[in-house]
Amino acid sequence: MDFKNPKIPEGINVSDEHPLKNFLYLFLGVVGVIFLVLLILFFSIGFIAKWIPFEKEVEWAQSIGASVERNNKGDLLQDLVFPNEAETSNNSIEDKLRAEKITAYLQNLSDKLSVAQKLPDSMKITIHYIDKPVINAFAIIGGHVFIYQGLIDVINSENALSMILAHEIAHVKNRHPIVALGRGLGLGVVLSLVTGVGVDGFSTSIASHINLLTSLAFSREQETQSDIDAYNTLLEYYGHGFGAIELFSVLLNSNQSSGLPELLNSHPLSENRIERLNKLGTSIVDKCTDTKLDCSVTPLPSFIKSPASK
Amino acid sequence: MYDLIILFTLLFLGYIFGQMAEKKHFRSLIKREEEYREILTFAKRFPLNNNADQKAELVGGNVVISVDYFKRFVATLRNLVGGRVTTYESLLERARREAILRMKEDAKQKGLNAIVNLKLETSSITKGSTSQVGAVEVYAYGTGLLSSHSL
Repeated sequence: MDFKNPKIPEGINVSDEHPLKNFLYLFLGVVGVIFLVLLILFFSIGFIAKWIPFEKEVEWAQSIGASVERNNKGDLLQDLVFPNEAETSNNSIEDKLRAEKITAYLQNLSDKLSVAQKLPDSMKITIHYIDKPVINAFAIIGGHVFIYQGLIDVINSENALSMILAHEIAHVKNRHPIVALGRGLGLGVVLSLVTGVGVDGFSTSIASHINLLTSLAFSREQETQSDIDAYNTLLEYYGHGFGAIELFSVLLNSNQSSGLPELLNSHPLSENRIERLNKLGTSIVDKCTDTKLDCSVTPLPSFIKSPASK
Repeated sequence: MYDLIILFTLLFLGYIFGQMAEKKHFRSLIKREEEYREILTFAKRFPLNNNADQKAELVGGNVVISVDYFKRFVATLRNLVGGRVTTYESLLERARREAILRMKEDAKQKGLNAIVNLKLETSSITKGSTSQVGAVEVYAYGTGLLSSHSL
């Protein structure tokens, strides 16, 4: 028998596909799938958040407050949201008394509006008044509604104030803060997974998402929903919706004048929204003239305006 | 972010040096295989023509080749989706051919001109430790013969 060792041709065991091409296919494919999964996670967290019981929200808001307990003299959540401003806000006893009085008044008003809006009994609105010249108001998890003196100063009637409070109560009622927080946390999880940053200290990094509480960006749909709910609350409470007109005109005016007020930053007034509000406004006026309702507005109590604005 | 920069730097270095080493190694393999072609090697267990061999001795050659970061990364990705791990295929091909060549070299130094009963052993140096970039060892051994007759 004739034994030979023939020359074996190259490339039998080795594929001649370029390694970079192979790598790119794999990398893009795997990254794409991971991205898709994270995207689903991101959206599902916001979606699922609606079904978290409100009591849990309250618990979390309390635990967040308690974990950052460093300044016992003030409002815990307020300290948390504005850690650096807590000391300066309580200058004198007079200011403190005035703030307490305003908070009590706002709390009373919001309780009435909650009833008018048919807020479930399990949900409780807590008003936090902030004596700062900022045109803003917002709601966070646990039914905590924050309102600034600056916003109170630009409006002239209790009706408009009610519109603001009813709008924020509607956010709480519709669970917008927890959904936004869920999305924010979802985004945080996604970012930390993708970049590998903050995976170890994820539980502690939740604290850094607290900033998110203050700059909750609700979606346009959520704002629209809250506007409509708030408007209906005004109809229920006053019998007319003039407060809404006043608030919107104030917001539009301050939008046109110097710079964007913060309320508009966190509540973006898109063209659509302005249009819709205008429509809403004319329908309110029509209703008032047609049915000859008592469309008088309720004035604000004098103590609620800041001394500087008088 | 820094993790990403480090990852891509390692990938880049792994790719550049890994590819350079691989290309160089294949060129050298082809050249040396041509040199040792006269030492015929078979997997057959027994000498091809009995009683004609003047000498029989164990010959062997072994090699350890490390995976580069790029190959390992691509293989990890491949683990997720399945399919041919082409980056490891070329690695093992290189290791086996190199081991056989070293075995032939051993045989030549011992004055032998044929090898039968060729066996290959492959093992992972870093088996089980996930933190390290792996390395593969291939050991080729067989019975070297000095045969006066033509096989």
